[in-house]
Amino acid sequence: MSYLEHSVKRVPTGARKILYLNWPLILLIAAVASIGFLMLVSVAGGRVDRWAEPQMIRFVMGMVAMFIVAMVPIWFWRNMAGLAYLFSLALLVFVEFFGVTGMGAQRWIDLGFMRLQPSEVTKITLVMILAAYYDWLPLNKVSHPLWVLIPVAIILIPTALVLKQPDLGTAILLLAGGGIVMFLAGVSWWYFGAVAAAGVGLVSAVFASRGTDWQLIKDYQFRRIDTFLDPASDPLGAGYHITQSKIALGSGGWTGRGFMQGTQSRLNFLPEKHTDFIFTTLAEEFGFIGGISLLILYGLIILFCVVSAFGNRDRFGALLTLGIAAAFFLFFAVNMSMVMGLAPVVGVPLPLVSFGGSAMLVLLVAFGLVQSAHVHRPRGS
Amino acid sequence: MMRRPLRPLARILDARAKGENPDAIERENLKARHEQERDQLRAQAEGRLLVLAVFFLCGFAIIGLRMGHLAGSDPVEPRAATTTAKILAARADIVDRKGRILATNLTTHSLYAQPPQMIDKERAAAELARIFPDLDAEDLHKDFNGPRKFLWIKRRISPEQQQAVHDIGDPGLRFGPREMRLYPNGRLAAHVLGGAKFGREGVLSAEVVGRAGVEKAFDAELRDPGRAREPLRLTIDLTVQAAVERVLAGGMRLMNARAASAILMDAETGEVVSLVSLPDFDPNERPRGGPRDDRSPLFNHAVQGVYELGSTFKIFTAAQAIEDGLVSPQTVIDTKGPMTWGRHRIRDFRDYGPELTVEDVIVKSSNIGTARMALMIGGEGQQAFLRRLGFFETTALEMPEARVARPLIPKRWSDIVTMTASYGHGISASPMHLAAAYATVVNGGRKVEPTLVVREVHAPGERVISEETSAIIRGMMREAVVRGTASFGEVPGYAVGGKTGTADKPDPRGGYYEDKVIATFASIFPAHNPRYVLVVTLDEPEETSGEEPRRTAGWTAVPVAAEIIRRAAPLLGLAPEIEDGSAVGVTLAAN
Repeated sequence: MSYLEHSVKRVPTGARKILYLNWPLILLIAAVASIGFLMLVSVAGGRVDRWAEPQMIRFVMGMVAMFIVAMVPIWFWRNMAGLAYLFSLALLVFVEFFGVTGMGAQRWIDLGFMRLQPSEVTKITLVMILAAYYDWLPLNKVSHPLWVLIPVAIILIPTALVLKQPDLGTAILLLAGGGIVMFLAGVSWWYFGAVAAAGVGLVSAVFASRGTDWQLIKDYQFRRIDTFLDPASDPLGAGYHITQSKIALGSGGWTGRGFMQGTQSRLNFLPEKHTDFIFTTLAEEFGFIGGISLLILYGLIILFCVVSAFGNRDRFGALLTLGIAAAFFLFFAVNMSMVMGLAPVVGVPLPLVSFGGSAMLVLLVAFGLVQSAHVHRPRGS
Repeated sequence: MMRRPLRPLARILDARAKGENPDAIERENLKARHEQERDQLRAQAEGRLLVLAVFFLCGFAIIGLRMGHLAGSDPVEPRAATTTAKILAARADIVDRKGRILATNLTTHSLYAQPPQMIDKERAAAELARIFPDLDAEDLHKDFNGPRKFLWIKRRISPEQQQAVHDIGDPGLRFGPREMRLYPNGRLAAHVLGGAKFGREGVLSAEVVGRAGVEKAFDAELRDPGRAREPLRLTIDLTVQAAVERVLAGGMRLMNARAASAILMDAETGEVVSLVSLPDFDPNERPRGGPRDDRSPLFNHAVQGVYELGSTFKIFTAAQAIEDGLVSPQTVIDTKGPMTWGRHRIRDFRDYGPELTVEDVIVKSSNIGTARMALMIGGEGQQAFLRRLGFFETTALEMPEARVARPLIPKRWSDIVTMTASYGHGISASPMHLAAAYATVVNGGRKVEPTLVVREVHAPGERVISEETSAIIRGMMREAVVRGTASFGEVPGYAVGGKTGTADKPDPRGGYYEDKVIATFASIFPAHNPRYVLVVTLDEPEETSGEEPRRTAGWTAVPVAAEIIRRAAPLLGLAPEIEDGSAVGVTLAAN
């Protein structure tokens, strides 16, 4: 259905593409990343070299990758979508057998200069292949059961592999991100209603099975749900993260304690303070104002993506941009909810802020795709 | 969906008639259809996008509101104490019969190291060795640099030591809260309480488990969180226990005894008011190991040790003979010695003449007279009676040590066994057995089970002998003190009665020692209506004030027991009774 090819002539070419990039989006991304650098300096007690410096290097590398990806026409990426998806599946299988075990789960492939998490890569390639699929599929077949089963399989295969690692957080993100792309592509409401009903049924089945011989999830997962529902029940055990981060947020108040003045996070009360729980440092040192500012920056990133997709008549480009925006939204929404005790603790980093190589690089490449779709969008009538 | 045809026949025919190209109509219609589809797609996409936007907005709103809510709330620190207190105060206190603390808990800390987090391992090792002189700096340094990520340094440390370690300032040295069992009275009632040790151990808490005594016997109850820290109330009276221990320790030294024990028991209920075994130990610093032999201070001589208890058994023989109607106190028994039975000869300590009444057999403690009574009773009857008094089983006392104190009974009960058992030889039992049996015999004849725990109601035991026999026996025991072997046992105002027993100690190489005895005095007071039974045993006593060392119970155990009664009876709330003769003084004063 794409008629991009017909109007290619009006798309900017060569170095002129740089002028047509979505510059506000780039500035927003840089602003969020800068907040991340500041926080990493703070949690390291003022030391730049511990976390902030490697993070900056990776950010610069990621930005270069973003520009390269943005310069390549979007139809090339559409043609690459299937290949990219299969490549990420292969990585997931590979990591299952040869991965480096970290924190009790097999997640990494050591590339020498960085540790690659295939599950991070999958988050983007899944959106790509779904967008390409719905770009290819005639509109009148979108809600046909057979043509619905194919994307469901496309989503479930990597989800199952990630779940086996085990990484519940990423699995949920994959499911939700894929579901959102399907929803945007126009799959009938009935399917989503049915899935929601089945989900409610499954959750009640999981809880009904508790304590019986055939219980569906592990005891530690039940405990996480328990401590989510009542963190005070075990403040020194499994509820420790949540309780401590709530204290940090509360002690930050409206205006915060000031840069490098946070106690909760800097005095080692919080584990994972530089990765998944870095938001607590921000909230403690810059208070509600700091937290809401970051949230607004994230919101603006989402807004610029949505506006770009709305003005894009290329179905692949629009779906890809919205899918990436949705995945990005899920990242920070799940992370912030978890830190503030709105969701159970699942290992999801705060995008562009948390210390971590794979997530940063993959996100910037994803925004490169968004930029490519923006630059190469069809113009004229 | 009904579709408009791209080439409507009417228009094609119409166009052909007009000479126009009919394909133009098809193109026109195709373009219209494409536009329609695109509009549909756009409308749908816009609708879906709107839903997504609402979803995003809801997400933003929830997160923003939550952030404001948390920012506006006062930060509440979780108090570590609220959660750890649950673990720390898990073991219930032990109190005496009046509610005074015998065992309680103290919060202290353990010290452990996490070498990967240590900053200056060398200095930390040196400082630790300075604070704890028993630690070696070299070893510590080696441990810290080893592969281990965690190691215990001290199980419990004092607050001063904790502060000193804290002042080292090394983040790799850490403390874990510990509940420690504390016995504030030190050695007092050590054998009753036993002691406790750490069981399974974690960083945040450690189990405290009983090692011996009631701590072990009631371990499950003491640790049961469902009992809501309800203290365990023992029958021990702390003040009486202290007095008995003090006097017995002095008596043991005076009589040059190797070990000693005393049991003070309520004659009606079997409640043990005081239980002492010497030498003793401090349960706060309980020595390592178990009581392997009776030389260990951990050995409970009153409960664990089984001894031939000698002439104290004569009371049972007399009681049974009277109960069975074979004799009366005034029946004359042939005591001409030595008495021979097969290869065996039975002698008395001294020659008491050719014949004695039953009462005098007890008062003067004649082996021959008792043996003759035992022959009248017969072996089977004697066994049955001793069984009913509890000499064939372990006692019901709530201590693990009591469960292992099984009396030594001859396998074959021949006539000679019947005769020797009648005066307490050839059969071994613990002093606790003896105290319970004496209580049974003197309290009116109802079986007594010794106990350490206060019970709300006391069910009277089964009847072993009649009230009348019990009264006669009490009289005989009183006579033994007034004019017999236990004359040092008199305590004015408390009408002490009792029976002595001196048994030669068995030589492990066979036979008996000539000069090593177990001296026992089983006493009751007041004799006409006994409230308490007191059993005192001295292991290898030697009273050396005379020309020759004297070892008989009358010279050793009896005076010690008398002193105990003199001290403990007022503490037990017994007022001295004014005896008939002294009433004269009152009259004189009135004149």
